[in-house]
Amino acid sequence: MTAYIARRLFATLPVMAVVALFVFFLLRLAPGDPAAIIAGDDATSEAIAQIRTRLGLDRPMVEQFGLYLLHLFQGDMGVSIFSNLPVTRLIAQRLEPTLALTLSTLFVAVALAIPAGVLAAWKAHKLVDRLVMGFAVLGFAVPVFVLAYVLIYFFAVQWQMLPVQGYQPIGEGFWPFVESLILPSVALGVTYMALIARITRASMLEVLAQDYIRTANAKGLATDRVLLLHALKNAAVPIVTVIGIGIALLISGVVITETVFNIPGLGRLTVDAVLKRDYPVVQGLILVFAAVKVLVNLIIDISYAFLDPRIRY
Amino acid sequence: MTAAAPPILQVRDLHTQFDTLDGVVRAVDGVSFDLAAGETLGIVGESGCGKSVTALSILRLIPPRAGRIASGSIRFEGRELTTLGEAEMKSLRGHRISMIFQEPMTSLNPVLTIGTQIAENVVRHLHVPWRAALERAREMLDLVRISDSARRLGEYPHQLSGGMRQRVMIAMALSCDPQVLIADEPTTALDVTIQAQILDLMLELKEKTGTAIVLITHDLGVVAETTERVVVMYAGRKAEEASVEALFELPLHPYTRGLMRAIPRVDTEADAVGTRTRLQEIPGLVPVLTRPIVGCAFAARCGFATERCHIEAPPFVEALPGHAVACWEVERVRASAP
Amino acid sequence: MTVITDDLVPLRPRFSLLTAIRRNPTIAFGTVLLALLIAIGVFAPYIAGDPFKLSPVSRLRPPSERWWFGTDQFGRDVFSRTMYGARVSLIVGLSVAAISSVLGLALGIACGYFRRIDSLVMRVMDGLMAIPSILLAIALITLTRPGLGIVIVAIVIPEVPRIVRLVRAVVLSIRSQPYIESAIAGGTRNTQLLLRHIVPNTLAPLIVQATYVCASAMLIEAGLSFLGAGVPPEIPSWGNIIAQGRSYFQIAPWTILIPGVFLAAAVLAVNLLGDGLRDRLDPRLARRL
Repeated sequence: MTAYIARRLFATLPVMAVVALFVFFLLRLAPGDPAAIIAGDDATSEAIAQIRTRLGLDRPMVEQFGLYLLHLFQGDMGVSIFSNLPVTRLIAQRLEPTLALTLSTLFVAVALAIPAGVLAAWKAHKLVDRLVMGFAVLGFAVPVFVLAYVLIYFFAVQWQMLPVQGYQPIGEGFWPFVESLILPSVALGVTYMALIARITRASMLEVLAQDYIRTANAKGLATDRVLLLHALKNAAVPIVTVIGIGIALLISGVVITETVFNIPGLGRLTVDAVLKRDYPVVQGLILVFAAVKVLVNLIIDISYAFLDPRIRY
Repeated sequence: MTAAAPPILQVRDLHTQFDTLDGVVRAVDGVSFDLAAGETLGIVGESGCGKSVTALSILRLIPPRAGRIASGSIRFEGRELTTLGEAEMKSLRGHRISMIFQEPMTSLNPVLTIGTQIAENVVRHLHVPWRAALERAREMLDLVRISDSARRLGEYPHQLSGGMRQRVMIAMALSCDPQVLIADEPTTALDVTIQAQILDLMLELKEKTGTAIVLITHDLGVVAETTERVVVMYAGRKAEEASVEALFELPLHPYTRGLMRAIPRVDTEADAVGTRTRLQEIPGLVPVLTRPIVGCAFAARCGFATERCHIEAPPFVEALPGHAVACWEVERVRASAP
Repeated sequence: MTVITDDLVPLRPRFSLLTAIRRNPTIAFGTVLLALLIAIGVFAPYIAGDPFKLSPVSRLRPPSERWWFGTDQFGRDVFSRTMYGARVSLIVGLSVAAISSVLGLALGIACGYFRRIDSLVMRVMDGLMAIPSILLAIALITLTRPGLGIVIVAIVIPEVPRIVRLVRAVVLSIRSQPYIESAIAGGTRNTQLLLRHIVPNTLAPLIVQATYVCASAMLIEAGLSFLGAGVPPEIPSWGNIIAQGRSYFQIAPWTILIPGVFLAAAVLAVNLLGDGLRDRLDPRLARRL
């Protein structure tokens, strides 16, 4: 078991290496002089030269990469060009809203979608199933920002039940915090829920057709036990996989959702940084997001071992 | 065809149908039989003759979307099962009537331990605490001769061989002392030596526990070794029914005769003497079950068939004491060489 | 004389469009919807007015007889812009799907076939997949001047890894089949093997995946345009229109909601097509009544 975990851990290293490489080359991939790009369209040649030395762009490539990695391991992701603050500090400042948003969306989505999928599979082809799947198909198609605006239009503008935008940190009161998160979570989570519900249903259907479910029924076991223990545990692996894959959806969606709802989180930071070509910040953010995704996948991989004993032994 | 004591299971004129893209398939087309307490009944026939469906019908395990029991009666200990509520049916399954299936490799849940799968049955029906149920599970593993039973409780199905998994299935099925055990081709998926072991085990258990067994198989050899009475099915109907000795000594139905002739004989004496004969197959195909069958189901393939056989379905009648057939031409069949 | 009666099944049933539609409602619906949207895009110049025409006098008018979808803050006809917007989204979606399919097919086969390439390429693919697609696309776009072609390339890159994985998986599973081994033993050449056995088996899952890529690409393009990092603002794209309607959302919601509905419809159409095709082409799914 520990061997399995260790192996999975090691497998993440090459992936992160590729990401680091990509991030490093991001700036240098652009046609033209990286220093000039950073300096902007109407910078003087002295300003460009200054930037070049400051960022060490005049040293050999390998040396630059080495330095870059070294700094990374020391927790130094560089300094923002525009705000002159360390990238790590910027990220730390914006972390809470994004974390709150993603976690709440994750939990709500999983808590609603899996039971929906199980229900749809159990009552396959009946009305309940068609309703759930209909919702799932629609939910998967509607883009996050469209849904966001629709929700804002009805719940915030017309009916005035929830705030139009903004984020209340939890330190300033629990209910305002929750209220500010409801619409963004729903907008962000619908696609995710649709995906999870569909896979849950599909996986459950496949499992319910298996011989061992027939055996369980032949033993006269209660329906909820058959569904939840015998079936769901077997169906879990694809479901958990998709939850992991969906994290990528969540992260992309976070960027857009924070823009629509004006939430001062990492997503907004990314957009601002990219549009301003603040490369150190962009690089740092991509690394962070990639690391999160890799970490999530690692957790998912490890959970397989708990769910399916055939993997363990 | 009455048994000495009142039969524990009585099936009367069972009709089970399936809905398919090509129409309604009459998988079981008017089958009746009795099972006495402690008796071993064999149901023989080729694939598709309806024997498995009969078994599934008894426990009402036919998925509602796929098919249904169209008509007929199934009485267990005097209770009518076809009209029983689902909750009551559930308490019967695994408790008073148990079933084991053909594929031991896939019939056990891969993510649950052996101990859990047996113990949960005990808890469900006998309402004992989990500890006691596990202990009972261990006893059952001992009963089916699985070594090191305490350790096995914590193991998973994929850690056991096919033969062992089938033993576990048997242990599971017998865990609540059922009156009836329905075994649907329990040894077909196993290799021959294991087959013999499992069959011996089943016989031994039967002696110990007094459970009535319905053994479904396509293998006449298994029938000969293990059962007391036999029902031969063809195309959803009964062709012949007799005690095992009577059936093998004097098969009356042309189909049964055909089956017997098709058994390969490893007969060294005949080899030496030079009387080896060809394997004789039964010509033709099993009839399509989407149309109602006119006349005798076997008529198209039968060497003894007459005009009447094609038009009128023969009734199932007792030709000899304790030996019944559905055939118009029984006399001719008896008279001809086996 | 025994008579064996078989049911005589007609060898080739006549193809009836109605039965095809009845048996595959999702494919039918998705195709029709998609065709409708494509038609809108193709015939936009004929059905819509001028999407660029400014009319400061008639700013922010709600939908009416004159302006079916109302006007935006510059007085531009939202109906016209939405119709033209269909072009961009569909072009991006379809091109990304096509290009990434071809690239993914080539790379996937190369990986499945040649071990040495496999490890390297798959590591790179894993790395690319670790970065959330929209971020990757944005990052790539900001490297150069924005434009339709750049947007397409920037979206292709995050989408290719998924297809490579898929094709590679299919190739590997087919390669291990006994009939391939016997074909190789029989002296079949690699190219023949590829063309006759391997590629045809990849096509069905590839097509299904390509539809999902198309849907994803349309969403990413809209997202990019919405964030201001996509198609240049002069070209009307649904994402652009929505982005530009942001500031006036509360007083003129139609500028956002209407293009949004069209975008959702396009994605829905492609998704349905993909789902329907998948159900149809997956041999494991037996039809049960």
